[in-house]
Amino acid sequence: METFRILIVDDEDDFREAIMKRLRARKMEVAGANSGPKALEMLDTEEFDVVVLDVKMPGMDGIETLRAIKQKKPLVEVIMLTGHASVESGIQGMQLGAFDYVMKPVALDDLMDKLRQAYERRVLQLEYGRKNL
Amino acid sequence: MDDSTPPPAGRQSWAGLRRQAADYGSTWLVLFLAVMLAAQVSLLWGLAAATAAGWSFLTVQRLRRERARADQAKCLVDEQLLQSQKLAALGKLSAGLAHEINNPLAIIRQEAEWLLFLCRQSDPLDMTEAISGLRQILKQVDRSREITTNLLNFARRQQPVIQAVDLNRLVADMVRLVAKEVEQRRISVITQAPPDLPVIKSDGPLLRQVILNLLNNAIQAIEQDGTITVVVQRAEPDAVLIQIKDTGCGISKEHLPHIFDPFFTTKPQGKGTGLGLSICHGIIERLGGTISVASEAGKGSTFTVKLPISLTPKEI
Repeated sequence: METFRILIVDDEDDFREAIMKRLRARKMEVAGANSGPKALEMLDTEEFDVVVLDVKMPGMDGIETLRAIKQKKPLVEVIMLTGHASVESGIQGMQLGAFDYVMKPVALDDLMDKLRQAYERRVLQLEYGRKNL
Repeated sequence: MDDSTPPPAGRQSWAGLRRQAADYGSTWLVLFLAVMLAAQVSLLWGLAAATAAGWSFLTVQRLRRERARADQAKCLVDEQLLQSQKLAALGKLSAGLAHEINNPLAIIRQEAEWLLFLCRQSDPLDMTEAISGLRQILKQVDRSREITTNLLNFARRQQPVIQAVDLNRLVADMVRLVAKEVEQRRISVITQAPPDLPVIKSDGPLLRQVILNLLNNAIQAIEQDGTITVVVQRAEPDAVLIQIKDTGCGISKEHLPHIFDPFFTTKPQGKGTGLGLSICHGIIERLGGTISVASEAGKGSTFTVKLPISLTPKEI
């Protein structure tokens, strides 16, 4: 299967490292960021296809980070990660262009499916951009 | 009759009578005055009440007129605000775009001028210099192309991206996202989805937005204690139906025709933007489907979304 670049953004080190390890085991290219600003900085210098973004983070939260990512790189797909389901943040996130929501604890197969779909969406959009030039 | 003649009634003297008469008189006077005073007071009160009523009537009329004027003005201001926001966004976009493209253009021009100078000056052309100049030009052209790609993609973002969507799973995911909220409000959610539903071709993120919005509306309509029923089913040869039914407050007859209008809301100011359902309507239309509502005030509402099984991608 095609590999693509994934950025995991979560302030909980243990969780982030664990999920990165498991995705790497599935031959994914994964990087991690422990905060929204750090993620934005990394997006400036590196190429990522899909961002997995925790909703609840101290300082700049997931929704704010999502907004900034979509302004900076509208074609990077973002999957929101949430520990406790909140309808309001769900609606906000979807409206801001999130690809999907994944609830913690994460079933890896489920996340992999969503990552693939998000990547496919990005490829479709990039192709469209190329065709129209 | 002389002065000593006793009065027929009682045994009072004339003087006494006169005193009495005077007393009576004064009593009458007092009574008269009292009545007059009372009359005047009541007249005053009446007048005051009438004035107040008239004044308040006029005030109500004036307030109504002022409110109508204010509403009109507000509409105008809202429209102007929207317009100016659009213009501001457009201005910002243009400025950003001009800046982004002017930079590579400046470099291209500089390199081209340098190449022209080299061609004119040195008889045997300095090839390494020329090649480096041409490379720089190519690089800057690519950079500009990336900018226009991004811009096109930005426009494209408003358009659906067609992918395979497992509707049952999508609905289950969104139900899970509202699970905590419904639990707190003692609302039960029943999902009926056939396991053999075909995978549809549509825009997943946009559909998620619609389902989540409809679920949220159902929760708001119920508030506490009730049932939300979500039914997914195959319809006609090439369509699927998603129904979200709630046992909530329902929608009154006069509100029903406006329910998908932008900015229409029955919630108190600041509680709802009145955009949720109009956004849903817009999305479903773009996905080639329809959204409709059936409702009875006090009994509940049913929103029905009908989607084509396969949506072919459209060009901008």
